[in-house]
Amino acid sequence: MLEACVFATIFCGFFGIILKKNLVMKIISMDVMSTGAIAYYVLIASRNGLFTPIVGNVKNGAYADPVPQAVILTAIVIGFSIQALMLVGVMKLARDNPTLESHEIEKNNMP
Amino acid sequence: MSTITIIWIALPFFLGFIIYLLPKLDKYLSLCVAFATVGYALQLFVEPSLTLKLLDNFGVILTVDQLSGYFILTNGLVTAAVILYCWQSHKTAFFYTQLIILHGSVNAAFVCADLISLYVALEVSGIAAFLLIAYPRTDRSIWVGLRYLFVSNVAMLFYLVGAVLVYQADHSFSFAGLGVAPPEALALIFLGLLTKGGIFVSGLWLPLTHSESETPVSAMMSGIVVKAGVYPLVRCALMVAEVDPIVRIFGVGTALLGVFYAVFEKDTKRMLAFHTVSQLGFILAAPVVGGFYALTHGLVKAALFLIAGSLPSRSFKELQHQAIALPIWIALVIASFSISGFPLLSGFGAKVLTAKNLLPWQAIAMNVAALGTAISFAKFIFLPRGGKADVRYGFWAAIILLIGGLFLANIAYYEVYTVENIIKPLATIGIGWLAYLLIFQHIVIKLPRVLEQFEHLIGVMSLILILLFWKGFAWLGI
Repeated sequence: MLEACVFATIFCGFFGIILKKNLVMKIISMDVMSTGAIAYYVLIASRNGLFTPIVGNVKNGAYADPVPQAVILTAIVIGFSIQALMLVGVMKLARDNPTLESHEIEKNNMP
Repeated sequence: MSTITIIWIALPFFLGFIIYLLPKLDKYLSLCVAFATVGYALQLFVEPSLTLKLLDNFGVILTVDQLSGYFILTNGLVTAAVILYCWQSHKTAFFYTQLIILHGSVNAAFVCADLISLYVALEVSGIAAFLLIAYPRTDRSIWVGLRYLFVSNVAMLFYLVGAVLVYQADHSFSFAGLGVAPPEALALIFLGLLTKGGIFVSGLWLPLTHSESETPVSAMMSGIVVKAGVYPLVRCALMVAEVDPIVRIFGVGTALLGVFYAVFEKDTKRMLAFHTVSQLGFILAAPVVGGFYALTHGLVKAALFLIAGSLPSRSFKELQHQAIALPIWIALVIASFSISGFPLLSGFGAKVLTAKNLLPWQAIAMNVAALGTAISFAKFIFLPRGGKADVRYGFWAAIILLIGGLFLANIAYYEVYTVENIIKPLATIGIGWLAYLLIFQHIVIKLPRVLEQFEHLIGVMSLILILLFWKGFAWLGI
């Protein structure tokens, strides 16, 4: 069930990128898609249990796998920085194309 | 050896930021990094291969051997040439910083053997390439860069989902885990790498991006940045026998598609960019010798882009009425000869080696692609000459480095010089020239660019995903 929700998020984001006309909306859709990917990592990490694997008094808990969670941190940071970079680019483009419709920008800039 | 490897990986990033602190030393420091890479790559050819496991069995795995040696050597030489080319131009320290960070991230992609460090390296190279493309800050360059970042980031998100599926099956992120992974994981990972490397239909973002960026940036992009996406495919094909046929099929498809567009293209830089697509196909068609082909192609394509940037016009039609300077023409012809596989240049050795390692069903298609290469480069060879040009000597330093590299790399495979090996490429070139002079010079066909629109690029990804999953892997029964 949870897995289906995660995939639905990814596909919502993906179709948003294709179908939305506005560039800012496209970027937000991309963020939705990356949220889906991150959620999938967390889901897979918690297959065997939900406990955080930290040294403590609790013994033999059903621990969550720390590796995917640690790995996805990198992807979160990268996704965030790419999004910031893209929004700066869009800001620059907005000066000459105030509507930010990707079709218009593409038509003006295709050789 | 392992210490040197780690220092060498960290060096570009360290010096890249130092450049920003000491902007006066920018060119010298960046040139140092490029030559350090060349030195390291040359050392790899004498040392045995090395596998480094940082942290534990799920940690970062680095593999350095001859295959990565070829790719790293390409990276070093192309970067050095681009820096020499920019020597007298007024590029700021920011440009050199980005150039060196791009260089470092591509280096990192060439040594890693696990999915997550590959992801990080590819994303860093994507960001650095975006900054280089958008550096002139015109509307067009920002749009082209934004498009590139969008396509590559969406592809890498699919790749991430594939990577976690591999982890679920194998409990590690290493490439070797692909052998036990479910087919959907392979399909997702391949989609990411194919798009990032500019292969087959999902690589059609490449022509516009490479042709609309500045000359040194296009040389960098076409010479090495796409190879960061191709290298993992080659490595996977060598490590996991099941994916080898898929890689070969995509190689053949790419070679034909790229050359088909290149033959009909009337714009120099777009023609070169389409040609990059086709040459990437040659690298994938025979993964065993892909490294040497990548070296040859990186050197020659960087040289061609640098030369095309100093021609008086970008349209072939105008160039046919406008004489170009003789020295530039000679450089152009040497590079064109190498890429069509003329003996005495390393393009010949690479073509023969690739032909030797093809499977029987690939041979006809690859010969057609080689013929198309000869036809499309006849456009350059039959240009009128005798005009004047004033180019800076940095340009010549770069060209001499690249073309000298082509001659030197040729010596490495002197055993391919047999009579029958020599006759075949010469015949191909001859037929190609005849076909050009008789047919292709006169026809004007404008191929539609529908597939290169932004939405279609993203949409094609889903089609490729379905194709990979439903046809390819199900059919192979992995």
